Amino acid sequence: MSARKVSYEAQRRRFVRMAMAPSLLFLLVVAGLPTVFLLVTSLTPGALVNPGSLGDFSEPLRNYRLLGSDERFVGSLGVQARLSVYTVVLQVLLGTGLGLLVHSGQERWKSLRHLFVIPMVLPPIVVAVIWKLIYTPDISPIYQAARMLGVTLPALTTHVDFALWSIVIADTWEWAPFTFLMVLAALQTLPAEYVEAARMDGADAWRVFGHIVLPYIAPVLLVCTLFRLIDSIKAFPLIFLLTGGGPGSVTEVTNYYAYLVAFNFGELGYSSAITVVLLAATVLISWGAMRVSRNAGGAE
Amino acid sequence: MSLLQSPAVDTQRRQLIKAAAATAVAGAGTALAFPAIAQAKPFAGVKLRGAAYQHGFFNILRKYIPEFEQQTGMAVDLQLSAFPVYNQQADLELSSGGSAWDFCNVTFILAARWVAAGLLANLSDFAADRKLTSASWNPDDFVKGAQLPYLDKAGKAYGFAWEGGAMLMGMSRTDLMKKRGVEAPQTFDELMKVCEAVHGQDGVTGFVSSNLHHWFLPPYIHGFGGDLFANPPADIKPTLDSAAAVQATAFYSTLLSKYSPQGVLGYTEDQARAALIGGRSNIFIHSSSWVTAMLTSPESKVKDTARVVRMPAGPRGDFPAANSQGLGIPKNAKNKEAAWEFIKWALSPELTARIVKDTGHPSICRRSVIESAEYKRINTINGQDIGKLYLEVLEQPGKTRNYMAYRTVKEFPLVGDAVNKAVERVVSGQAPAADAMKTAQEAALGSLRRAGAKV
Repeated sequence: MSARKVSYEAQRRRFVRMAMAPSLLFLLVVAGLPTVFLLVTSLTPGALVNPGSLGDFSEPLRNYRLLGSDERFVGSLGVQARLSVYTVVLQVLLGTGLGLLVHSGQERWKSLRHLFVIPMVLPPIVVAVIWKLIYTPDISPIYQAARMLGVTLPALTTHVDFALWSIVIADTWEWAPFTFLMVLAALQTLPAEYVEAARMDGADAWRVFGHIVLPYIAPVLLVCTLFRLIDSIKAFPLIFLLTGGGPGSVTEVTNYYAYLVAFNFGELGYSSAITVVLLAATVLISWGAMRVSRNAGGAE
Repeated sequence: MSLLQSPAVDTQRRQLIKAAAATAVAGAGTALAFPAIAQAKPFAGVKLRGAAYQHGFFNILRKYIPEFEQQTGMAVDLQLSAFPVYNQQADLELSSGGSAWDFCNVTFILAARWVAAGLLANLSDFAADRKLTSASWNPDDFVKGAQLPYLDKAGKAYGFAWEGGAMLMGMSRTDLMKKRGVEAPQTFDELMKVCEAVHGQDGVTGFVSSNLHHWFLPPYIHGFGGDLFANPPADIKPTLDSAAAVQATAFYSTLLSKYSPQGVLGYTEDQARAALIGGRSNIFIHSSSWVTAMLTSPESKVKDTARVVRMPAGPRGDFPAANSQGLGIPKNAKNKEAAWEFIKWALSPELTARIVKDTGHPSICRRSVIESAEYKRINTINGQDIGKLYLEVLEQPGKTRNYMAYRTVKEFPLVGDAVNKAVERVVSGQAPAADAMKTAQEAALGSLRRAGAKV
């Protein structure tokens, strides 16, 4: 009986392996090979102006050594960090607020729920074009309205104090719906008796929120934060279209710098090294996200 | 059955048989004649693949391509992409030694890199070969200034120019200038005064530009007596922190920060052009095809008040920028002779003249055509001989010292990027010109060294 069971298990495992093999092979080809290519390229001085340099492995760590002294790269990490923190905090706060409003049961908010999700489902380049129009003083309705009121707004995307915030606002508009959906889904599973019991005990709305609702949705908020943090590293279309990394390098995040190095300067090797560093950071954050998510799930 | 057929049906049947027989005879004749036709078309059956970026010239050229195909028997597949997309594709295709294209656009900003790296075929040899090219094609007819980017140190051509860009000054509101008592500026000082006089009048800004500062700033640097490199292309040590470069940056940045529309740092060329032809900005100094739109575009609201003149000169001279775009053949192209046949045809004096006559397209580089009466007639607008201005500027780098040599440095994109950042930092108030250019100098040196240049 036992022998039969082991044999069945072995067969089952074999079947699973066979069934998964095409997917794994596909994944290896579409994700694994380019990653290996990226790693290999990052070990060369590979530049388009020097044909053959992509095969030069004489000083494999040169690019990584140069990264430390590249002020623009170091600066871009700082910009990336600021952008990520601002956008993630705002998106989580706004998404949670919207989730609570819609969950409050008031019909006017309920009816808006589909509207809130629209930015998230638009193609990123369309979002960028929308905000480009909003931020262009010549044609923007916001600037026109301000002018009618006698107010002169600064050009947000080219002003040193506002350029990064212009990206933050657009990114928040696009991705706060993600938190909103997640929080709303969590709130809808919140057992009503918890809230009713608290109210019967005399708790006001703030206490209910602080002691019941917030702890209940905290794991979801954590997951949202980490997912958005990972995704914020990929902010590219908004920067490409709205600011081009400027003015100066005020909005130049690391992946945009990697793009410039590869496609404007033709330095594929150096750009690959930047991308490998970004990839490592993303893997680290993802690993952290998975651990936190698992722990949060366990705690729950 | 035949008894049941009406005479009319029978007649039709006979006519059908006759027609079928005639077709068969004609078909057989054609089949017999085909080898003779094929012999008359040495490239019959060749499929020529080319790539370039979206530009009015190629849209025009496409209309004539069926004629070329008819003459040669080739099929031409010309792929057009957006400018940055094409440049990225071409950079990768050429540097990886690809053979997907038989001919391609040789982009001005990348030409030096491609020529220096030996990624293109030597076209001088094709042009000199009398079996391949008749003397009437005359490569010396191309405006010398427009050909400079496509020549190697030995003077061999790796591309022939299909378009020239000559920097001119467009003024959209000369009525306002007249009202304020100022003339077309001829010096940098006068330029600043005109901008000051016009700015804010009637909702108009004095100046406008776009975000390609590495194209707009150098004429000012040259005008103040500087350059971007010590002695390009031989000595490519950047000289961005020279007194002249700092002075020019301060001057150009003042035009942008004091006299340009709000948010000008984010302006694309299209936005700047729209501000000019809409009469919202008075002065735009750019390639002729951008500024002459004031006079030629149906959308222009300033046709009556617009003028196009030479850009002002600096205290050390007059150095309007000039560029060109070329057609070339990748080194590893499979059908080089066929591609040369195409380039020869596309840039022949005859087709160039026809294109000018049929479409009015002005930015061509054949001197004989530019100096023709037809070209002058078409390009004299509001009494202004725009063609003459265009030719003057296009020729200037070839006549004097080649001050456009900075653009033939293959590492220029690295330095150009540093220039862009510096101008943005000055205009946005992050740093004064001296500091910004010092930082740009250090950044450019660092980037060049990283890229392997000995500076």
